[in-house]
Amino acid sequence: MSAAYNEYLVPGKRGFHIDESALMCKNGCDFYGNPVWQGYCSKCWRDHSQKAKQAQQLQHHHQVSPVQPGVSGSPHAFAKFEEKKRQQVDKRSKSMRSIFKKAQGSIKADQASHPTAHWNQQKQPSFESQQVKRDFDDFLKSLRKPAAADVFKQIHAFVEKVQQSEDMPIEDLSEMVQDFYQSMAERLQTHTAFKGFSEEQAEQLLGFIEKYLTTRLYKLLFCPLTTDDEEKDLRVQNRIRSLNWITTTQLDAEVDDRDPVIREKIDQAITDIIKMDSKRAPQDKLACTVRCSKQIFEILKASRGQPASADEFLPALIYIVLKANPPLLHSNMSYVMRFGDPSKLMKGEAGYYFTNLCCAVSFIENINAESLSLTQEEFGRYMSGEAVPPGGYGSNGSTCEGLRLMYQNLNALAELCKRQETLMENTLTLQQEMRGFKEAMLQEIDGVIARTPCTIRERVKANIDEEDSEVDNLPPPLLPTPASV
Amino acid sequence: MSSSRVDLKVVLLGKEYGGKTSLVERYLHDRFNADLPYQNTIGAAYGARRVKVGEHTVTMGIWDTAGSERYEAMSRIYYRGAKAAIVCYDLTDSSSFDRAKFWVNELRQHEEKCKIYLCGTKQDLVDGDLKKHRSVDYYNTTDFADEINARVFETSSKTGNNVRELFYKVAEDFCNDPTNFQKQDDSTLHIYDEPQGKSCMC
Repeated sequence: MSAAYNEYLVPGKRGFHIDESALMCKNGCDFYGNPVWQGYCSKCWRDHSQKAKQAQQLQHHHQVSPVQPGVSGSPHAFAKFEEKKRQQVDKRSKSMRSIFKKAQGSIKADQASHPTAHWNQQKQPSFESQQVKRDFDDFLKSLRKPAAADVFKQIHAFVEKVQQSEDMPIEDLSEMVQDFYQSMAERLQTHTAFKGFSEEQAEQLLGFIEKYLTTRLYKLLFCPLTTDDEEKDLRVQNRIRSLNWITTTQLDAEVDDRDPVIREKIDQAITDIIKMDSKRAPQDKLACTVRCSKQIFEILKASRGQPASADEFLPALIYIVLKANPPLLHSNMSYVMRFGDPSKLMKGEAGYYFTNLCCAVSFIENINAESLSLTQEEFGRYMSGEAVPPGGYGSNGSTCEGLRLMYQNLNALAELCKRQETLMENTLTLQQEMRGFKEAMLQEIDGVIARTPCTIRERVKANIDEEDSEVDNLPPPLLPTPASV
Repeated sequence: MSSSRVDLKVVLLGKEYGGKTSLVERYLHDRFNADLPYQNTIGAAYGARRVKVGEHTVTMGIWDTAGSERYEAMSRIYYRGAKAAIVCYDLTDSSSFDRAKFWVNELRQHEEKCKIYLCGTKQDLVDGDLKKHRSVDYYNTTDFADEINARVFETSSKTGNNVRELFYKVAEDFCNDPTNFQKQDDSTLHIYDEPQGKSCMC
């Protein structure tokens, strides 16, 4: 075979002639193309499809934009998300994943709905894992050696076991994890390595085990592809979005959302509930719920001038959830229920607030005209965005926002003025002090000088060559005498 | 209460402003704010307290619930897994007792294992000379209680009358039920077998 002939041969497929140029990327970038990517190489295909997608999106956007503001982009985003999910499940290949990631990065913020947050976590997988590993190791070091070794062994065997059963239905995984918690709890009580552990120590250790496991296995356990969690997340999210006209009065929530101080607390509560999605361990997610709930009690206290009870708390929580629209809410809640410590979920304080959150979400899903004391017609009009309820967040939200900012700025300015004044005052005092100090210093120096006058004695010059009377007393120098041999 | 381990979940059910919160407040902190007849003073809806019954010490987690009819449909989420339910009604408000019957039915249907305690509140308002204010007849309530195998406590959060007795009874019944303690001796954790995957979202 001549070298020239060789060039026309498709590697591996003897006898099938094809021009090499047909194999190359259509873009002419010197890489091989692939029919799957319409003759582009992987890189150019990515660019190409991305551009096409953006163009399509832009067009689509123009078409849908006149529709009601509340619901616009969402069905579209949902369809796109659906498609992505399907492909993800079909291929599960690394390259496809990376394409999605790239493509998603360019999608505008409002379009890149919450699934992005989830994929992003896959991008940098191990920061949290490393962190929790360090913490866990530190904690293990504080234990006795056999105990630490045993926990370490158990937990790693279990992590491996879960990683191998990746495709199990989530209910089975949940059961597996819960069984593991229980077996560890029993082990702490019966195994000799843990003899003498106090109840608190055991509880702490179990907490760490939960944290370590769930953080390490988060990708597997959170919002798994085998469930319709993502779909439900989107449904909840859209539902909340379409209900953004609901006001505190309709909910009977005694929250004064115009007062800037309370407004700040509301923002804090919203931040807390949103933070839930950024935590990995169920206990941390629960802690976010508890923080948010406590903040709500603060809000109620400030709004009503008196402390609140469960009757006031639930409406306020519903209001906060509606305003926050926490990302991946359904997934987060299912995850906590599947992998959290059930005894805490069922009975403890965190469980109480979490139950309230479940209640709030359930209420939001089933909200209707009756539950808001509205007529069917009114409700329909608000839902469709045709009308906005008086005093609603939507109607004067912008002015409120502006005013709020202004008041905030005024407050900040007043604060600055005050600080400036104190600064000036302090400067003047400092100046005076310095002057005083200088004078006192000078006085003191003068005093010292007066007390101990400085007299410099004449220096006596010594001349060793000078003839001296003492020299006369010296014996005459020795004279050399020749020695007789 | 700092202890994070809770043995016994007690849920409070009853009409809005029926005195649930004051009852908890009185029990947990032994105080009552007369200026705010139906508001508590710390602003919390959850409380825990340790109770010693004989040789056992149990920690009760007390769950207050929103009493508005609006949230009726979700009440099941609250009393899931509760060992005891205190159904409150206002002795001066007959409609609150009708609502109490509603809760009892709900509980009987969905949470059979949950023990029920009927609790008439604001007893100080119908005491002695004030009998004419009473709207819920005592014998009606006891008849109803016999029917559903429950106990009746008429309490006053203002004077503290019967409050401690009510909660002590709850703890005592819990401790006297040997099935509760088998679990306790097994492990510190209670793992419930029931699937709890999506129960709240459906």
